[in-house]
Amino acid sequence: MADRLLEISGITKRFGGLVALDRVNYAVRSGEVRGIIGPNGAGKTTFFNVITGELKPTSGTIAFRGEDITHLPPHLICQKGLGRTFQLTFVFPEMSVYDCVWVGVNARAKQPWRPFARSGRIQELSEKTLTTCELVGLSDRASELAVNLSYGDQKILEMAMALSTEPSILLLDEPTQGVSPKETENIIGVIENLSKRMTIVLIEHSMDVVLRLCRQITVLSEGRVIAEGPPEQISRNEEVQRIYLGDIL
Amino acid sequence: MPETASTVLFLLINGLIWGLIVALIALGLSLIFGVMGIVNMAHGDIYMAGAVIAFYVTSLTGDFWLSLLAVPVIVIILAAPLERFILRPYEGYHSTSMIATVGISFIIQQIALGTYGGIPKKIMNPWPVSFNLLGVDYPGYRLLVGAISLLILSALWLLLYKTSYGIKVRASMQDRDMANAMGINVNQILVTTFVLGGVLAAMGGTLAAPINQVFYLMGNDIVLLCFIVVIVGGLGSLKGTFIAALSLCALEGVMASFLSPIQARAAIFVIMVVVLMRRPQGLFKE
Amino acid sequence: MDVAKTSMDVSPPREKISLPSYFAIFFLSAFFILGFLLPKGAMSLAIQIMIFSILAMAYDVSLGFTNQCSLGHSVFFGGGAYGIVFGILYLKIGVLPSLICSLLFGFVLALVTGVISVRLSEAYFVIMTAIFFAIFHLLAMDMTWLTGGDDGLTMSLAPISLGFAKFSLYDQRTNYFFVFVFLGLSYWVLNRMAQAPLGKVFISIRENEKRACFLGYNIFGYKLAAFVVSGVFSALSGGLYALTLRYSSADFFSFTWSILPVVWCLIGGLGTLAGSWIGVVLMSVFQYYVSAWWTYYLIIFGVIILVILRVSRKGIIGYLAGGR
Repeated sequence: MADRLLEISGITKRFGGLVALDRVNYAVRSGEVRGIIGPNGAGKTTFFNVITGELKPTSGTIAFRGEDITHLPPHLICQKGLGRTFQLTFVFPEMSVYDCVWVGVNARAKQPWRPFARSGRIQELSEKTLTTCELVGLSDRASELAVNLSYGDQKILEMAMALSTEPSILLLDEPTQGVSPKETENIIGVIENLSKRMTIVLIEHSMDVVLRLCRQITVLSEGRVIAEGPPEQISRNEEVQRIYLGDIL
Repeated sequence: MPETASTVLFLLINGLIWGLIVALIALGLSLIFGVMGIVNMAHGDIYMAGAVIAFYVTSLTGDFWLSLLAVPVIVIILAAPLERFILRPYEGYHSTSMIATVGISFIIQQIALGTYGGIPKKIMNPWPVSFNLLGVDYPGYRLLVGAISLLILSALWLLLYKTSYGIKVRASMQDRDMANAMGINVNQILVTTFVLGGVLAAMGGTLAAPINQVFYLMGNDIVLLCFIVVIVGGLGSLKGTFIAALSLCALEGVMASFLSPIQARAAIFVIMVVVLMRRPQGLFKE
Repeated sequence: MDVAKTSMDVSPPREKISLPSYFAIFFLSAFFILGFLLPKGAMSLAIQIMIFSILAMAYDVSLGFTNQCSLGHSVFFGGGAYGIVFGILYLKIGVLPSLICSLLFGFVLALVTGVISVRLSEAYFVIMTAIFFAIFHLLAMDMTWLTGGDDGLTMSLAPISLGFAKFSLYDQRTNYFFVFVFLGLSYWVLNRMAQAPLGKVFISIRENEKRACFLGYNIFGYKLAAFVVSGVFSALSGGLYALTLRYSSADFFSFTWSILPVVWCLIGGLGTLAGSWIGVVLMSVFQYYVSAWWTYYLIIFGVIILVILRVSRKGIIGYLAGGR
């Protein structure tokens, strides 16, 4: 039986009177590629925010590899092995692509705070940075400043940055949002590649992407899980179709 | 009344009245920061300008009360172009606007130094009567200043909470993009807010002038105190600024009864550190 | 997409020597040479410029590298100056050990004020540091028995003996090169730090604090580290200033010393270390020469500040290096 990498039990998140997440249960096994879809305001990003420690749940628990991480601060949760990307591209604008990834790789080093070593000369970190850049196909643009990349490439860069911390599970928040169709193909390619070697959970607004990439899809609406299953089942689910009627289909 | 109790009462009333003046100035600062995103380090110098103008009006016409009319007019004339042509590019950029207004502060201070001079001067007490309150002789002018400040504060409250202009200002303070999207003429709000903030500071300076001396550097003390009041009250909360101003100045007044003025001021700052440690977002959050 | 390509085919992008570094080398060489050429009056200005350059650099670590706009650095500057007083007048030790006192004072002050302030978000941080400035300034002015208040305390310095020779700071040229050595050392240390992992983490925090947090960095710890480094070097500057003047007063805690570094850095360029030196030179030379023919030179200075900031929010060097 595959181990449960991430286990979310009964997560509720209230903002004053608004219930953003309502007793959500969710479990991810190692090696899975999971999708989370739902209309705007369903609570998808809030869900990620709670898992990664940015928000504290009103009630419920989150366990990673059996360890309770519910109340840990975000940087510690990341160190445990959860990587994430954000909806709006979150890179380091004035740093080069190489440096952006390097910072992530450095976070895993034994002494990320070394004050005198020449960064470029730390062999192990350079190698890992280059490998990660290649993995996402950005090696040819390694010296370019992040702010100068196209939007789609910035999203890929952000994925590389999340990857650079060697996470066991990667949480991608709408990786193709606002990206041109051509670049979407690119991004899908990168994610497909990654999915062969790590566990991925991705939030998407576009059914297309999710149907292609994910083996199991969860549908959130108004903070509640209303359906969960393989792509064919979900796309035929009447309630899901009803909810999305105004939105995408 | 026993002597120490009457001293404390005297200083407490002093503090409260001073707190009302500080509230005026600090509210101006809070509005400028909230609506325009400008950390106005020159705010104290506008306060000083109010005092200096009052000095000149009083010397020229012999009538202090005229300055209560003259100061707002002069400030409006000077502040509007200042915002429109000089401050506009820095709006929204906190660090940059802070330094830019430091530059403006240098300019205003040096102009004052060149025209008014470097010697502190006093304005004669415009109302040299005193009232006996609970056994304490209290200067009439200060009570009048307290009353006038309350009047201005009430007018301000009416303006901000009971008029459509006020709604627009408070909306811009909360979310400028949203305000824009709702058709509020944000540029107009920017100019008027700066002018409003400036007038409040200058009026504070005018009212305070006969109490303290008029000195070209008098703004420096005030500006720090006002920033602290705004932060401790809670950024974005006008009510918080008001309450913080009154409490801080009243507290300082009481402490001055057994500490030296410098020590009392330092003690207030230490208290502020402790308050902010317990409640880093200030007392009232908008 | 094939992953099999070996990573040895591509090497990391070469670290080019940047414009600020060239400027630093130029500046340091120039000042080295000037040390042999300058007449008395100009030399004292030059010493001042070098001392302030250390303060400017120190402040850049806080504002330019981690986006912490502190208004409380006069606490460290004044603290460093009084570290010298403490060493020379109270402990009666020599110049170099007193300088170590300065660094220690700076370290402790920065650590204590930092632990309280750094965790606060932007505007609250600025005010908290300003409150600390006010507290220390007021206390320094009040406790005249300890600090000499506004009048200050004068000191006489014994010659520094380094085994092979004795140096007296009363000789202006010796004083000049004494300060120069510390400027060079400080730049070397801070520049190495900027290029080291620590420096890169600082910059990443400045660029996107949340992102850095979600890569696993303890943001509070790093920001505090930057603040403390900044404080220590600010104290060094204050100590050198006290040594050069053979004097220290409560005025060294005044707001001028808190706001000047901000002006220097914003004019010269944030995050460039040496860029701030331009700000120092501009302001100091201005003050020295222009104030001679127009008392109100600060008006021109105010205008210059407005113009520079209007053109580029990143300051002069930042603008030249390609920012906006």
